[in-house]
Amino acid sequence: MNPTLTTALHILWTFSQLSVLGFGGGKGIIPQMHRDVVVTYTWVTNDQFTQFYTIGKLVPGPTTIFAALIGYAAMPSQPLLGASIAAIGMFVPSSAIMVVVDLLWERFSASPWRPIISHGLAPAIVGLVWASVWTISHGTPSGIVPYAVTAIVAVLMLRTSLSAPLLIVLSGVVGIIALR
Amino acid sequence: MSADAAGPHPPLVRPSLVGVALAFASISSTSFGGGQKASIRRQVVSRGWMDQEVFMDGLELAQVLPGPNILNLAIYCGQKARGLPGAAAAFLGASIPPFIIILIAGALYFKFASNPYVHGGLRGCAVGALGLTLGNALELSWDERTDWVRIALLVSTAVVVSVLKMPLLLVLVVFGGIGVAHEYLRSRRKPKASQ
Repeated sequence: MNPTLTTALHILWTFSQLSVLGFGGGKGIIPQMHRDVVVTYTWVTNDQFTQFYTIGKLVPGPTTIFAALIGYAAMPSQPLLGASIAAIGMFVPSSAIMVVVDLLWERFSASPWRPIISHGLAPAIVGLVWASVWTISHGTPSGIVPYAVTAIVAVLMLRTSLSAPLLIVLSGVVGIIALR
Repeated sequence: MSADAAGPHPPLVRPSLVGVALAFASISSTSFGGGQKASIRRQVVSRGWMDQEVFMDGLELAQVLPGPNILNLAIYCGQKARGLPGAAAAFLGASIPPFIIILIAGALYFKFASNPYVHGGLRGCAVGALGLTLGNALELSWDERTDWVRIALLVSTAVVVSVLKMPLLLVLVVFGGIGVAHEYLRSRRKPKASQ
């Protein structure tokens, strides 16, 4: 098969699977996405994966839109095609589920299962967020300054109302000074 | 569809499809994180596309199902206001602006990432994003602290994913399944349980 088509199908299949497994707003899919796109397909490096994730947090809209950047990098000859396929894979399947469930919603309304499912899945999702911290750290520099900035940003996020993009940009300023 | 204008609410407004798309395009291209839910609520409830109760149902559904909460909520609102074409308009409105913005960011990234100052800045930004993810993990874990079964599930999920590289599907089936079963048994034990 044509290698471009093969890559395109791999991108679509990879992100579609992540899309339907993206419970908890997609917070839990980062470790699996890393395994697929860095380890299995080697479309991006550890550093790129972490930096794309960072850009996803920096721009408005869902963080998981950074899938588009992975598609962009995966198809160097046709980056726009790669980016589009990745975004379609990431967003269309979960959106289709939303549409279908809403069509059936009136029957599901007031179902006691809704809080049981969302509350029951929460510990696994939070465990996956901890695993994401581990995954993301593969692409960040080590040393006293990065560790200190990581801890300070975590505390500022929890204790102040500073916005996420502002905290990322401030960390970037530290990086320009100390992490070149 | 909840089109009863006879209730205490003012009559519902039926927006145009372009209006639906533009409303979510402006929200998705200007706001971040938690602020978006409030923006969507203002958009759809204040303008009379649906009443508060229908909106809150959608918010709950959007959070239970997979996918970004904001995108799910936008699709729900589009669908409630204008049916399937409305859902499609909301999807396009909510997803195209972030897609274009991230493409521009990506083009700049591939052009300038090798510049030492940009490189240093990106490394710093990545450390900031790691700190945010760590803060998020701490915040979410705090909510689980009261129940030993939930803490055990949380810790074992983190370990099997990080160390044993367990696939996501299996993690959700096993650890998500145990969590749901635990929650189900708890809700039967005390029918007026929290939530």
